[in-house]
Amino acid sequence: MVKVKNKKRNTAESVNDKKASKNKKVLNPFEVHINKEKIRVLGKKAKNDRGLPGVSRAKALQKRKNTILPEYKVQNKSNQFTDKRIGEKNRSLSADEKSIARYTAVRMNQHKKKSIYNLADDEVLTHKGQTLSEIEKFEDVPHSDDDDDEVDGQRNSGRLDSSFVEDAHFGGGMLKKADGAKSHKDLIEQLIMESKKRKAEMQKQKMANSDLTDKLDSEWKDLLPIVTNSNKKEEELAAAKVDDYDKVMRELKFEARGTPSDKLKTEDDIAKEEKDKLERLERERLERMKGNVFDAASTKIVHRSADDLDDNFAYDSDTPDVTLSYNDGKSNVPMEDEDKEEENENEDVEEEVEEEELETESEDDMSDLKEDEESSSEDEDIPIVEAKVLSKKESATKLINGKHKLDEPEEDETKRSKLDIKDPEKIKEDLMFRKEMMEEARKELPYTFALPENYEQLQELLKDKPSHHQSVIIERMIKCNHPSLKEGNKDELGHLFAYLLQHLSDICCDIEDCKDVKHCFDVFACMTPQFFDLAQLNPETSHRSLIEVFKEKQAEYRKKPTKFPTVEVLLYLKLGSCLFSTSDFRHLVVTPSLVFMEQMLTWCKAKTRANVAYGLFLVSLIAEYTTLSKRYSPASIKFLCGILHMAIPKVTVRQIKVLPPFKHISSSLVLAEQVETFDNPKLDVTDLIDVKDFDDAFRIKAINVSLGLLKYFHSNCQPLSSCPEIFETAFNYLSQLPKENYPESLSKSLNSFLETLDEGKNNRTLEYVVMEKKKPKALRLYEPNIVKIFDRKMHKSQSKEKAERDKLLHKIKKEKKGAIREIRRDKAFLGRVKINQKIQSDTVRKEKVKKIYAEAASQQCALNAMDRYNEVRSKKR
Amino acid sequence: MSQQEKPMKISKVLRQKAQEMLGSRKYANNLLDIMRHFDTGADTCPCILTLEMIFTSLLKSSEMFIEIVPLKPMERTAEIQYREWLKQIYEEAWNKMVHCLDHASPKVATQALASCMNIMAHEGRYPLEPRSSQEHYIPFYRLKPIVMKIIFNRQSSAHLINKFQEYLVYDDMLFATWKLLPSLTAKTNPNDVYIMNFLMLLEKLQLQQNTEGSILFSTEEGEHNFIYDENSARKSLNKVWNCVMLWEQGPVTLKQLLIVLLERVMPYLDKPLMLTDFLMDALDIGGPVSLLALQGLFTLIQSHNLDYPNIFAKLYSMFEPEIFHTKFKARLFYLSDMFLSSTHLPENMVAAFAKRLARLALIAPSEDIIIICMFIGNLILRHPGLKCMLNHPNGGSATNDPYIMEERDPVKSNAINSSLWEIQSLQNHVLPSVAMAARFINTPLPSVEWDITKVLDNSSDDIFDKEIKKNHKLIALAFDRPNGCFLNRGEIISQYWNF
Repeated sequence: MVKVKNKKRNTAESVNDKKASKNKKVLNPFEVHINKEKIRVLGKKAKNDRGLPGVSRAKALQKRKNTILPEYKVQNKSNQFTDKRIGEKNRSLSADEKSIARYTAVRMNQHKKKSIYNLADDEVLTHKGQTLSEIEKFEDVPHSDDDDDEVDGQRNSGRLDSSFVEDAHFGGGMLKKADGAKSHKDLIEQLIMESKKRKAEMQKQKMANSDLTDKLDSEWKDLLPIVTNSNKKEEELAAAKVDDYDKVMRELKFEARGTPSDKLKTEDDIAKEEKDKLERLERERLERMKGNVFDAASTKIVHRSADDLDDNFAYDSDTPDVTLSYNDGKSNVPMEDEDKEEENENEDVEEEVEEEELETESEDDMSDLKEDEESSSEDEDIPIVEAKVLSKKESATKLINGKHKLDEPEEDETKRSKLDIKDPEKIKEDLMFRKEMMEEARKELPYTFALPENYEQLQELLKDKPSHHQSVIIERMIKCNHPSLKEGNKDELGHLFAYLLQHLSDICCDIEDCKDVKHCFDVFACMTPQFFDLAQLNPETSHRSLIEVFKEKQAEYRKKPTKFPTVEVLLYLKLGSCLFSTSDFRHLVVTPSLVFMEQMLTWCKAKTRANVAYGLFLVSLIAEYTTLSKRYSPASIKFLCGILHMAIPKVTVRQIKVLPPFKHISSSLVLAEQVETFDNPKLDVTDLIDVKDFDDAFRIKAINVSLGLLKYFHSNCQPLSSCPEIFETAFNYLSQLPKENYPESLSKSLNSFLETLDEGKNNRTLEYVVMEKKKPKALRLYEPNIVKIFDRKMHKSQSKEKAERDKLLHKIKKEKKGAIREIRRDKAFLGRVKINQKIQSDTVRKEKVKKIYAEAASQQCALNAMDRYNEVRSKKR
Repeated sequence: MSQQEKPMKISKVLRQKAQEMLGSRKYANNLLDIMRHFDTGADTCPCILTLEMIFTSLLKSSEMFIEIVPLKPMERTAEIQYREWLKQIYEEAWNKMVHCLDHASPKVATQALASCMNIMAHEGRYPLEPRSSQEHYIPFYRLKPIVMKIIFNRQSSAHLINKFQEYLVYDDMLFATWKLLPSLTAKTNPNDVYIMNFLMLLEKLQLQQNTEGSILFSTEEGEHNFIYDENSARKSLNKVWNCVMLWEQGPVTLKQLLIVLLERVMPYLDKPLMLTDFLMDALDIGGPVSLLALQGLFTLIQSHNLDYPNIFAKLYSMFEPEIFHTKFKARLFYLSDMFLSSTHLPENMVAAFAKRLARLALIAPSEDIIIICMFIGNLILRHPGLKCMLNHPNGGSATNDPYIMEERDPVKSNAINSSLWEIQSLQNHVLPSVAMAARFINTPLPSVEWDITKVLDNSSDDIFDKEIKKNHKLIALAFDRPNGCFLNRGEIISQYWNF
């Protein structure tokens, strides 16, 4: 019995498998065909040296008979019968055996994996043909309201009452009929009446019923609050009785839990974050300062051997190669000293940190509080201090990396401290005063300002307002229209930036006297923080508008390249240094402004007092721009030299050479008489437009400022190898100045500077310029092509993937060929089957025809015989 | 208002009068009116224009033409008398107009020149007297006073010369001017104004024929039989130059003279080697003059086999800090590039040049530093021996720069033992473009020289424009909020300035 459950079983493979076991028979020598070998190769495995053509042909035939033939037979037939009854086709089984086999099959089916755990599902119990589960549903059959009183037969709605039925349907006999003289018609009418009455009654009762229910409902509703109240009270009482443990437990259970991110930041954390941010920014700034391209050159490889494999294996040549040896019981390698030193260093650094802290405290008042707290928390919070130490270390290494001489930071420090003595006090006072003013302004002004739509509006708003008022107005304007509040605010603030620039230029336009200049710088000072905020909010627009301004101013200057432009240019340049990172190697705003400043210093003629002041302002601006990057600007040093030259008395016939645009003969800054004291060491902004002629006070101031700036530049340039050459001219001029005429402090600092310059010239070490050594290029090595096993075949040397692919392609080709052959044989087989069928049907037909002929012949024969018989008989008659 | 209307009116009136006069002889006296008005000195320009109009049309219609038949006495007809009268007025007017070239107002002077030239052109086409048609007629007697006026002007006549230059595109004008010049050249020492005017005119004159070959004094059909004789022009040039060389020169005129010499005259001189002494003297003056002289000497050396012993020392001495503020620095760089292009020069000398340039770069304007860096790079490329200045063979350190800046002889300056520390320092220049240019010493040198000619004319404005055009995505902002206008760190301004 073949199970047709699985169609696969019917395919060629299965048949083949079945026959495989049979094939393991001993070969019949008559069936074997031996393939002749033409060239014999030793060690070659011969697969096809012999074959069984007859057997294999028979095998193939058999296979086709089992596979294609049935398919052919059922082709063009949409369905077929498969008898699944067990043992039905098996004739050897009796009826009993069949039923037993079937029962076992059912039992087996129940113990299949699926149902192995369904313990109760074995048998389904039934009652009267219905399963018990069905019966036990206990479903409440819905009764209609009409059927409510079905029990009462009288009132059965649809049905007629029994008396009526008795009378009307069955006649009730002759006797009864006589009593009532009712006709059939009357009866029917009565019937209708009665049924109508009954219906109306039922309706009525139903209505009453529903009314009653409604009433009950409403009453219940009235009662409801009383009932619930009483319940609540009971509950409350119960709650009061709840013991403490439960309470605590519940409290613990329902206590609001905060997510980890919501952890409150302590002041320290905030400070630390702030510091991290600043540090990160500082790091980025330093990177930009070096310039991206420079990196490759600056990262020097300390040591590279010719055998270096470029595998980043660093030979640590920094650590000195000291072999450990003992001399008089002491090792030559210092073991703990280093640590001690490090500790010392750390202490130093800590001190420095503290110093810096103090400095920052004194310098910026605004963040006083925060800083204080930070320093107080310092004692407790060790990690922060450590971080600080690290950062300080970084800066220290930075200094060293920048090829600074060791004495440089010290000098820096001293300079700073000197500054600290003088300036912070004043600045502090100034700031305090300003703060107060701001506070006042804050109180006076309204709190919200709309952004101006055009420049005129802004002008109107700021007109005739004192500078601190203007500052507060802008500040509030920015706050009210912060980009986070509304979509288009960012662009609007960009416009505001441009308007403010215009405002600045307008103020500067009508500078007439010193008061105006002061006012102008005052407004500028108040506005700078606002400019800064705006630039932070919208860097793109602000940088673009500032660049446009520079472009315009430069184009104006270009027309008259020997004249200094107006004062506003200074303000814009100063603004550039406040808003942008000036230390970048190349910066969109800073670099053009530096080019502009250099141009002015190189070409503009410094004839008048205002010109000299203007030039000195530019030089100090350049100094500010290069504070962090410590770059070298020839133009500013040249200009300072020119100023110094102007202060040299030209008594001798011999000309003192000076570079254009300064004149050989100009001596407007020469101090003719001795001046004992000078009270004001700084230049005034009013000098920028002063039309007065040079006076002694200005001369001293100018020389003082030039000297200070020269010192500053010298300290910046000291790491440069040609520093003495750069300052050679300045040295010459300085030594020719009439020192005796200057106040004592000034001449003292002048002398000290001269000494430093001289010292720098005499004690210097010039490292010869040496190009970075390049790694020699290794010769290319060719590896010998070694083949492991020689097997006469030429193996293509190709990649693994390619080989795999080729193999597969070859296989496909082979399989394809085989498949085509098989298909051809299948077709031949089917052709044979068809022709056989045809032949068979032909023979059957022939047989039939023959038979018909034979029958006809015999019939004819009988007929003929009968004819003959009749003829004979008639003749006989 | 009235002032504006007045000249309009007058020019209209003048024009009307001229038209009437040309229209019929009845109004011939109008001419006298115009001349009288011209004499008053007011409204010179309209008068000149009117006179120009009258005489050009008179010349065109040959109304002043007087036929002179030989051996026949002049007839005294009214017609001839009228013509003679016209001619007399014409001469008078011409003289006055030429006189106007001296006019203080350049506008009037230029107008007078243009009118004179126009009248002269007409006279050339329609001569006053019968001429044979074979030879080309140039009215020299008209041209001479003009040129004389230009040269002997009381003030600088640059405007006139510029106007005059417009006529020099005509070959015959050019040739006539060349012909005239020798007679106008002063034999003794003239004043500076004369020299300047003369030299300016000479600068405009070219010796070779113009390529268009247009002719000023041609008939209307354009027929002419003028042949430009370059040899005779050249002869005049030599003549003129021989005189010029005898003049005593001031510093300004000397510069101009050298420019003219270099750009116009030098190639056409018969004996250029005669200039050697002059150039050598000029070389010692210093500044731009010596630079120009150097260029002249270079030409002599190059094309006339002059052997000048100490030329490189002279060139070397020219590299002074002042040179960057003159107009001639591009020329100097160009020249020294040429001088030092030979690869057979002694290395220590070239090294001296490189080192000196590097020193100068420390104080030079930024655009020049870029040129200098390229220049030094080129020098090292040409003379591989100089590589020791970039890459010292032994390394080590020195206490002082071995190079002696003050030494005037480049060979003795000991530059070859030095290193280019200056370029190294310039890598810290404040401008990124300069710092980048100075970085060439860090990397291996390229195989091809830098093209200096491209950057020679760069100015600091160009650097500015380039920096403005640079497109950066990153806008780096400061991160310290300023208090007032004081920065939290790096505040310099407040140290030196009171606000």
